[in-house]
Amino acid sequence: MTPGRNLNRPFAGPVFAAAVLAIVGAGCGPGRVAGPVPDMAAAAKLRDVLKAGEAAGEAGQAAAATGTGWATLTGRFIFAGIPGEKKVLVVDKDMAVCSKDGMKLYDQSLRVDAASKGLADVVLFVRKSSRVKNPVPTEQLFFDQKNCEFLSPVFAARVGQPVDVRNSDSVGHNTNISGSSFNQLIPAGEGTVYAPNAETGMPVSVTCNIHPWMKAYAVFRKDGYVAVSAADGSFAIPDLPAGEPLEFQVWHARSAGGLKLDRPELKWSPKGRFQITLQPDEVKDLGTLEVPAAALGG
Amino acid sequence: MKRLTGMFWALVFLAVPVLGVATFAVAPSINVWLPSDVSAHGHEIDSLFYFILALTGVVFVATEVMLFWFMWKYDAAARQGEKATYIQGSHTLEVVWTIIPAATLLFLAIYQMNAWANVKMRRPDMPPTVEVVARQFEWRLRYPGRDGLLGTPDDLHIVNDLHLPVDEDVLVQLKSMDVLHSFFLPNLRIKQDAVPGMKIPVWFKGTETGSWDIVCAELCGWGHYKMKGRITFVTRPEFDAWLERKTAEQDATQPVPEASGEIVAN
Amino acid sequence: MSNHLRLACVALVPALLVAGGCAPTPPASFRLNMVEATSPSAEKDSVSAQLALTPVQQRQVATILTAMFGTPDEPVCLPETGLDPAKLKLAAGPVRSDIVGRKNGLYREHCVHCHGITGDGLGPTAAFLNPYPRDYRPGVFKFKSTERSSKPTHADLVRVLHNGVAGSSMPSFALLSPGEVDAIVEYVKYLSIRGETEIALMQYFFELDDEDKGQLKETREFLVGEILEPIAGKWASAAEELIEVPEMPADIDLAASIAKGRELFHGDKANCVKCHGVTALGDGQANDYDDWNKNIVKIETKLAALSAGDADAEERRWASEFHEVLDGDALKPRTIPPRNLRHGIYRGGRRPLDIYYRIHAGINGAPMPAAKGTVAPEDIWHIVNYVRSLPYDFDGELGADRAVAAQPSTVGGLVASKATPASEEN
Repeated sequence: MTPGRNLNRPFAGPVFAAAVLAIVGAGCGPGRVAGPVPDMAAAAKLRDVLKAGEAAGEAGQAAAATGTGWATLTGRFIFAGIPGEKKVLVVDKDMAVCSKDGMKLYDQSLRVDAASKGLADVVLFVRKSSRVKNPVPTEQLFFDQKNCEFLSPVFAARVGQPVDVRNSDSVGHNTNISGSSFNQLIPAGEGTVYAPNAETGMPVSVTCNIHPWMKAYAVFRKDGYVAVSAADGSFAIPDLPAGEPLEFQVWHARSAGGLKLDRPELKWSPKGRFQITLQPDEVKDLGTLEVPAAALGG
Repeated sequence: MKRLTGMFWALVFLAVPVLGVATFAVAPSINVWLPSDVSAHGHEIDSLFYFILALTGVVFVATEVMLFWFMWKYDAAARQGEKATYIQGSHTLEVVWTIIPAATLLFLAIYQMNAWANVKMRRPDMPPTVEVVARQFEWRLRYPGRDGLLGTPDDLHIVNDLHLPVDEDVLVQLKSMDVLHSFFLPNLRIKQDAVPGMKIPVWFKGTETGSWDIVCAELCGWGHYKMKGRITFVTRPEFDAWLERKTAEQDATQPVPEASGEIVAN
Repeated sequence: MSNHLRLACVALVPALLVAGGCAPTPPASFRLNMVEATSPSAEKDSVSAQLALTPVQQRQVATILTAMFGTPDEPVCLPETGLDPAKLKLAAGPVRSDIVGRKNGLYREHCVHCHGITGDGLGPTAAFLNPYPRDYRPGVFKFKSTERSSKPTHADLVRVLHNGVAGSSMPSFALLSPGEVDAIVEYVKYLSIRGETEIALMQYFFELDDEDKGQLKETREFLVGEILEPIAGKWASAAEELIEVPEMPADIDLAASIAKGRELFHGDKANCVKCHGVTALGDGQANDYDDWNKNIVKIETKLAALSAGDADAEERRWASEFHEVLDGDALKPRTIPPRNLRHGIYRGGRRPLDIYYRIHAGINGAPMPAAKGTVAPEDIWHIVNYVRSLPYDFDGELGADRAVAAQPSTVGGLVASKATPASEEN
């Protein structure tokens, strides 16, 4: 075999090398987003703390200030923007009932009263309260559905309070309260009683699996200090503990996380919380709480 | 120097038959020989294997030794100055060493026909004992149940754990749910591709109680290597009892209290 | 090229290929739940840039989890988890034999390639499977004998390993010894408790007050008492939340039960046909998702709305980061079709008991609702018998049902009292 360049295939060497590199390199693609690397030393120290069974933790929190007496909080939410056209929902099951006579179903996540600009379905609840005035009520709340939509886009209940989950529609539904043990078939015209046994943090969604466009929200609180603004945007929470700083969480279906408003005197935080201390027998009116369109943009 | 090179390469080529024979001689003692045979027809297949091994072994050793001998004897360095004889080849030799192997192969083909027919063509006239459906990456088994018919509501469904009566003819109906697999029972000398769309009968008779492997012998995907099952031969009364027990578990309408450590599953 | 150079090239290529595989591999490590870290909220439709965890916060969660649960090679379990450390040791770590010759590293040998090292259902083979492998981190399991939102019992998980999940890629591990199966089940529970703790920690950042300065309290009271114990408690109480199953009468008239079951199946109490279809082929509807996929769909909808509307720079940056996270840490969402009941393939088990469980409590994590409270227990047995008869139903029931399907559906659901050949045979 004559050594020397093969003049017929001058690029054989480099081409071959390139092919090999391509095959080897093919395995080296962009990986997944780099996650954080834990601090192993700190983890080992923390593990000792956790195993030691230290119950003290941080030198106990300052005893919560409590007062006496009860007060009421009221206010009214208005929407400072222009609510756009309501989105039409896609209805593709049980059309004889759900699209009866050409009826359309709309997304109810933003309900603004045309006359008063009141913003409905805003949820307020107390994050932590030291005392409660009334025991858990035994009267049933109603949560109903008809014409293939939930009649209350947002409803609130106290933990332990019976809720009559009703189906006044002419087709069967199943009501699925996310995060709870409740996902039940409710035949047409019937209802079932559900008493929430755990409090939700923020409101959780309520859906129907047979009619996937149906959506509502539910919030359950142990102390019952929760309100949902009415159609005209007004709300009232009675029997709040007076004389102690109360932190409220405010939420709307279209706000991501909490509902942020511009009320510095209430120390309104970016997480949608505000603080207020009420005097005994006071009826504190927060006035008109303007919700800018940007806060519900998401 | 050149002679050493010649000797070296000749010895390298001698190593081939030497090591080849040595591996075969050592194999049974290091457990890389034929797996134990627990089937009724297995000895026929094994004898064929040994016969072919012996035949080809002899020829192999002979040709390799000759190769070594010619490399050694006619090494150019040892025969300085000798010129190679120029020949045109030998027509007679070519004919001889074509006819003899052809005849041998023809002989083998005819010699093994009976063994093949026993395993692949002479199906026993009996209803299927079990249906094996190969699936990525498991063996789904279905027994006919009390009514003796496959495809009825009382069928017993099991996965991977094939139980059969010993010393009895067994007919397996082999199917595939998705891609090509191969139902390979090493200890029963049975291997049959499971072809999607076909219902293939496989029959054998086990001669010893115990548990053996079922493996997949046709590349079927990423889980091919772990597509392992277990075939267990038990006596007929034990087999019937096992069927009863498993059917009762499958028909359960009440939860079974979990005895400690016992896995109860259908 | 000279001969020597040619030889060098020929030898170099295999050397390079071999060396490419010989990089020192770092020890296996858990991966943070990046999807949750970028959108830590129980309701994935209302997530935004403000909620996302900062890298510092992500690191704190990773460190806390390492403290509480260790690494894939050296698991740690606090006594509050109720887990057995010996079993975890058997299942964790690389595949190897211990001193007595027992195989260790069972999870890595059998489960990692689908379920992932973190139990996130994102192993290397996961993308090729339909349905996707289970992500243990939300702590939701479908096939169990307990009420809908309860955890499965140990026996339930053992059963899943033993039988596999028919109709999915989950194989049967019946050939492993009971000790090995127990160890793997314990490790799955460990990964699930770890995953739920991770989600709870991430979602807790929203609950922090301003004075916490965006850092979780690293105290035993908080981490163990407030976060870990509720999660571990649910696993511990699973055995008390078993579904009570009434006896099916031994002398039941099967044909009558099947006919009654058919009525209920088509009736408007149970509404089975709405999803499973009039002919039970699973063609009633095709646009719902199971919980794992639904979260991704909600996120994707949110991100799409963001790019369509006018979002500020921070939101845009978050959205593009999120797209990158979804590329590597989420599988493409798939709808969950209602089961085709005529196949005779039952994922949760084929015993009448298993089907009773599915109907009574529904399937946790899936759209299948609970019939408990709506359908009486004896009626559930009738539906069970009907469902079990469907794969063998060759006599033209399909034709009879098809005629009903052709009628416009009337108010109140389908007409229940249609005489069919099967019921006439009674």
